[in-house]
Amino acid sequence: MSETSRRNVIAVAGAGAAVGAAALMGGGAASAASRPSRISAQEPLVAYVEDHRSDRVTLMIGEDEVVVRDRDLVTRLLAAMGGK
Amino acid sequence: MSSHREAPEISKDPVADSTDVYAFRSPANPGNVVLIANFIPLQKPDSGPNFFEFGDDVLYEIHVSNKGTAQADISYQFKFKTKVRNDRTFLYNTGQINNIDDESWNRPQSYSVKRVKGNDTTTLGSNLPCPPVNVGKRSTPDYAKLGEQAVHQLPRGRKVFAGQRADAFWVDLGSIFDLGALRPFNEAHLIPMGAMDGINSVQSFNVHTIAIEVPIDELTRDGSTPSDPMSATSTIGVWATASRRTSRVFNKKTGTYRDFGKWRQVSRLGNPLFNEVVVPMAEKDLWNSREPSGDSKYQKFVYKPELAGLLPVLYPGVFPNLEAYDKRRADLHAILLTGIPEGVVPGFQNYTGPVPSDMLRLNVAIPPSKDPNPLGLVGGDAAGFPNGRRLEDNVTTIELRAIAGLTIPLVDPSYTPDDAAAAVEDGSEYTNSPLLGEFPYLGLPGGGYQTEPGTTQAS
Repeated sequence: MSETSRRNVIAVAGAGAAVGAAALMGGGAASAASRPSRISAQEPLVAYVEDHRSDRVTLMIGEDEVVVRDRDLVTRLLAAMGGK
Repeated sequence: MSSHREAPEISKDPVADSTDVYAFRSPANPGNVVLIANFIPLQKPDSGPNFFEFGDDVLYEIHVSNKGTAQADISYQFKFKTKVRNDRTFLYNTGQINNIDDESWNRPQSYSVKRVKGNDTTTLGSNLPCPPVNVGKRSTPDYAKLGEQAVHQLPRGRKVFAGQRADAFWVDLGSIFDLGALRPFNEAHLIPMGAMDGINSVQSFNVHTIAIEVPIDELTRDGSTPSDPMSATSTIGVWATASRRTSRVFNKKTGTYRDFGKWRQVSRLGNPLFNEVVVPMAEKDLWNSREPSGDSKYQKFVYKPELAGLLPVLYPGVFPNLEAYDKRRADLHAILLTGIPEGVVPGFQNYTGPVPSDMLRLNVAIPPSKDPNPLGLVGGDAAGFPNGRRLEDNVTTIELRAIAGLTIPLVDPSYTPDDAAAAVEDGSEYTNSPLLGEFPYLGLPGGGYQTEPGTTQAS
């Protein structure tokens, strides 16, 4: 994965984190935070959390993969599944 | 079998399942080496309407190690692309296919070939047509012609072929996996039956072949064409892999899958039968995903192979010397994991260094035999298995006899093999489609129309 695309993927993860936080706050902050960045990935993405106790999320776009270490993101992904 | 359905996971994924690897100096062009990797095992020819084809979602590779590290120094990568010409018919072909570019072939497949060496990747060919499968007398009336049209010339005298062929492997599957039975020795088995000839279980099945012929100097570590078999630069290690992407998601809108992430190896094959009968079932899937350079983990199964322990049990009193032998099997370790070092077989070596690794080792300084012996090196023919592997090499018998102790004296002169070690075999013979005298050498695949059902008996 090139550094540019790696930054893109991490930016996507960061944007996702912002979406979660902004949604909790509600209102205009959410729409500002969820606006796609100029360097956001523009294609389907798969996120994989192998260990729900860890801070690691593997993001897959095309033939690329990057591991993002973000415990807050893991927590919100798990919470989005409603505790299943 | 050699590696047909040899591990639990890959047996459920035939498109990525490597079945056999061959590496030999071209008998027609001795300055070249032919590398062959077969995939998609046990294809019943009359399997329409959706016939067999390579996976567009699989990365097929043939690797060569030439520096003694058991890591891939050169890789040939093959990626396939399939299209549907007419989306309003269920037919594989809408008329006779007389040429591989005929519009009547409704599902043509093509591929690209890349050569990877270090950080350099070179595209050797792209949009290269495969042949269709052998549908039958009406649809593919001149299959030999279609096969010839699918042999493509590449730069530097290379050739490549990718498509359906007759399997060249032969073995008595039904007997061997029925408690290690060898039909000619049925009377000596723990559960005795009448002796009979072996049955070639593979003779009527096809595979999908990737074959590439390249100059020897493209494969050696110093770019030379060695003439001295004892030179360290003369031996290469070869293996094939198939890889899939990390993640697969079903798209309900299209009814198809979409892949995500890096390519991950799901199938590996070097020496015939290694993962099949040496690696325990519980470890076979992981073995398929690993590199040869990490095979030290598996050498304990080579030093003390399970099958060598089973033979004296299944054939009581037939292998007393093998049963009493309690030393590590250094002979099998050399044959399968390091290559045979200098001093074991006069005038021969195919040692690739101390890294234990399952690779097919070919000493490219050994010229092709004018009169090949199917027993290869064991039969006094240094151009055959385990020096590389030719299509006609009887690898089942060679490995069976080696495991039975025939090759122990190579490294332990104090050992006397049991009489049976030189005679043991499954009794099957090569009754497959005749091999060709030229590239890609594998025989023409059986046709669907021409196929007749075999026999099935429940008892």
